[in-house]
Amino acid sequence: MITLFIFFILSLTLVMLLTPLFIKIGRRLNLTGVDIHKPDKPSIPKTGGPAIVIGVIASLTLYLFVKGFSTEIIALIYSSLIAASIGLIEDIRGEINPKVKPVLLVVAGIPIIALSVYTPRPVLPFIGATRLTKIYPFLILVSYPVVCNAVNSIDVLNGSISFTSIAFFTAVLVVSVIHDFEYPMLVSVIMLAALMGFAFYNKYPSRVFAGNSGSLFIGAVMVSIAIIGRVEVVAIIALLPHIMNEMHVIFSMRGLKSAKQYNSRPIIIENGLITANPDEKAPITLVRMLSAKIKAREDSLVKSISLLSFYSMMLAILTNTLFMR
Amino acid sequence: MSLLRNTLMVLILLTIAWVGFIFITFILAYTLFPALEYADGSLTLGLMRVAVGIAVIMLWIYGWYMLTKTWLRKMLS
Repeated sequence: MITLFIFFILSLTLVMLLTPLFIKIGRRLNLTGVDIHKPDKPSIPKTGGPAIVIGVIASLTLYLFVKGFSTEIIALIYSSLIAASIGLIEDIRGEINPKVKPVLLVVAGIPIIALSVYTPRPVLPFIGATRLTKIYPFLILVSYPVVCNAVNSIDVLNGSISFTSIAFFTAVLVVSVIHDFEYPMLVSVIMLAALMGFAFYNKYPSRVFAGNSGSLFIGAVMVSIAIIGRVEVVAIIALLPHIMNEMHVIFSMRGLKSAKQYNSRPIIIENGLITANPDEKAPITLVRMLSAKIKAREDSLVKSISLLSFYSMMLAILTNTLFMR
Repeated sequence: MSLLRNTLMVLILLTIAWVGFIFITFILAYTLFPALEYADGSLTLGLMRVAVGIAVIMLWIYGWYMLTKTWLRKMLS
């Protein structure tokens, strides 16, 4: 327990110290994004991702030095770094083709398969461990683009990525404490610390965005730990708001499309207040649903999305406690 | 219509999706899986199990989407 506490403090401190540095780097290199929900539309550095990546990877590497070699942690580091690199390229060079990006993100699953750190017997509610020997590696590869994009697409409001991800890793932490799972416990503690440190700068009004490097990194860590820790179902339930947001966008847009290709925006912004677009052709998103027929402040919407994520966290823990063998 | 009410509507939708997920795993647990889990591992049976599993999950997601679409229409009307 003391070891976990030390890694929590280390990860929190690193992210708290590194984020201001990356805010300056972002401004200097002009790696900024427009905060479209504010009336004055300020440019905000989108370089928070590298601070999270360095904080988490440094903490995990130190764990390897202290506790000894672990193939599981190495695989997680490689997978998440691949996803973060794809995001960083996108942050620097501009948007990758939305049909190519999922193919690239499939590569993030390769370290998990190559280092064989998965058990092709996911534990399902009522059923228990089931045999998915042949299909499981394929599911691993598919899950990276799905979850990474889901995390990426929930990062639309100030602080939404931080608080929704905190809810996810809290669910994983609680379940790993109940079952005494070592790796999910360690990774969720380190991620929670990093996200709490990042939330301090990312909360409304944001001083920094996670960028694609941050969101894809967080998504890849979520998938990796769900697979390595065998908490797949807990992860799916905890990610219900993310899945809902992403799947509905894909269905309503009839395929993978860039946000710039939308003919009709999901929301309308008037004087810093957000309202749902009544146009039937507009994509269905969580924010659009929450702002239906009202004019809402951005910070209030973030509270609502966070509430949904914490509710899903409770459902995930409940599922594990009541229905898992 | 307030933000609280909209949040509550989405919470209900999430609960329905969760109950749906639990329900389909319950059905599969007592129908398909016992029939196939201990059957001799032929390729056809394995593929059948995977195909049924994927079809059920796709059906769950599609049902969830259709429900959300109707839900949103009601919220916007």
